[in-house]
Amino acid sequence: MAKALPLLLPCRCFEIMITPILIVDDEPDMCWVISQIIESQGLNVVTAYSGEDACFKLANGDFSVVFLDAKLPDMDGLEVARRASTMIQNRPRVVLVSGYHYQDDPVVRHAIDDGIICSFLAKPFTNEELLKTLHSLLLTDR
Amino acid sequence: MSDNSLKKNFEVRYDMLLNAIPSSVLMVDRKLQVLSVNDNFLLKSQRSKENTVGRPLAEVFPMVILQSTGIEESIRNVFRSGLAIKGQKMTYRAPGVPLRIYYYSILPIPNDQVMLIMEDVTEQVRLSEEVRRVERHLASVVESASDIVLSTDTEGRILTWNSAAEKLSGLSVQEVHGRFFYDLCDANQKQVVRLIFQRMKTSNEPHTTEFHLLTPSKGGSILISWVFSPMLDDYGKAVGTVVVGRDLAERRKLELQLRQSQKLTALGVMAGGIAHEIRNPLAVCSSSAQFLLENNITVEFHKECARKIQANIQKASAIIENLLRFARSSLDTEMGEVDLVTVLNETIELVANQAKVQKIQIQLTLQRTVILVSGVSGLLQQVFMNIFLNAINAMPNGGVLSITVNMVEDRVIVRILDTGVGIPAGDLDKIFDPFHTSSPVGQGTGLGLSICYSIIRQHLGSIQAESRYGQGATIIVTLPLL
Repeated sequence: MAKALPLLLPCRCFEIMITPILIVDDEPDMCWVISQIIESQGLNVVTAYSGEDACFKLANGDFSVVFLDAKLPDMDGLEVARRASTMIQNRPRVVLVSGYHYQDDPVVRHAIDDGIICSFLAKPFTNEELLKTLHSLLLTDR
Repeated sequence: MSDNSLKKNFEVRYDMLLNAIPSSVLMVDRKLQVLSVNDNFLLKSQRSKENTVGRPLAEVFPMVILQSTGIEESIRNVFRSGLAIKGQKMTYRAPGVPLRIYYYSILPIPNDQVMLIMEDVTEQVRLSEEVRRVERHLASVVESASDIVLSTDTEGRILTWNSAAEKLSGLSVQEVHGRFFYDLCDANQKQVVRLIFQRMKTSNEPHTTEFHLLTPSKGGSILISWVFSPMLDDYGKAVGTVVVGRDLAERRKLELQLRQSQKLTALGVMAGGIAHEIRNPLAVCSSSAQFLLENNITVEFHKECARKIQANIQKASAIIENLLRFARSSLDTEMGEVDLVTVLNETIELVANQAKVQKIQIQLTLQRTVILVSGVSGLLQQVFMNIFLNAINAMPNGGVLSITVNMVEDRVIVRILDTGVGIPAGDLDKIFDPFHTSSPVGQGTGLGLSICYSIIRQHLGSIQAESRYGQGATIIVTLPLL
């Protein structure tokens, strides 16, 4: 297990109040990388490798943040986010992580404008970028 | 019967005989006076018997004709020598009648007379001129053609060789006349061409083929598309062969350009899938490298990061290798032994990323693990790439792309079936036309399937489409087995 990465903000405040973070990606290595970064902050993660799997876990668990791949073998990441926004009362913040889209991609812009997702992260990202995104979401009120 | 009546009878018969001759006949004496004349002459010259018989030749014929033909002098010569003059040509125009052309003969007759026989050949002359005109026209058609047009005897010896043939081969008609046509072909083609000529002797069917024509003066050869047609006489018997050849250099150049542009379109479509598929391993490598930069990581974690980096670089590299294979495949255009299964697998790998992104499942069903055909693997890959991409584009909401390969006798049949939007009935017979496209403006060149058609034809195969609108489409590619 890696040693905790330097934090931009003190993490103590998250430890008690934060529910697990869901990582959705069909590539096991991608899930491994994101898990490593988040777990280094002392946070818990749950992984899902398909859209169906993600929807099931979202419906049956309580997640604060979701890192969601845009292209999944069975459905689009955005479709998962859309379902999450309609079916779950306590909506998690969704970060779309994609190698298929780019930062100012109209699809991404619309999804943010519509409130389907909160943030977008382009692959490949730096570990720091991912942490910054995570921290900014955890610090924002629901 | 009295002498008088005998003579009368004879004269009547004599006149009847002369008048029955379809030529003009005049009897002339030494003083060049007309002694008698037949009806044919009177009719043609529009004269009466009264103002012709007993008159000098100079009065009967227009002065112009007498001068131009020298007919009076010729008659005197016949009187002097006693030898006939045969087959002289003269043109004659009686007042108010169109120009006529005659062949005349002057024959010595006992009793100090000569017979002038004038045969009207106007119609024959007109016909032969017409024949010459038609011949000249046909010759100029053959000579003006930019295709090679040549004719041979039944054994394949060259008889005619047009200007285009001279220009393209650099060989003059004198150089090739009487030579066997197959001597001008590439060494390994001679036997095949010889067999075509053998077949022409008994066949009524034309034979189409492609092979190189040697161009000795230009130090090489040119690829020509040939059509051999048997030349038959009036009884349907083969008397030779007509061979027409078209230089393929220009067409090949154009096709190559079209293929290149089509390839760029295919690359564009693949880019989306490839980007997704390359950025994943890049992201894993990037994050892992950043972990390695951290202090105080365990040896085990260090190794794990290095392994992830190694494995993901391999993944990205494999995708790029596939792309390179696709981009460079057109350099090889020599026909050779090709394994169709390899071609299909490599092509499926190229579109797999895009299919995954669009949630399309690809199924390949094979009867055998190796299927050999004669062809160019790069070109065949392009054909299947085009068909697969069309199928993928037809399934925007996902679906199944199934590819089944079956062998039937000496042919292999590849059926590519999608569960997409299908092809409207009206478009089905147009999809192989150049520039026909169902893609929005700027997204498809509409050349894909027309190029596929041309490539498959080049491989002596066929390509068909079946579809019901809204229920997917099937493209069927048939190729001869090696």
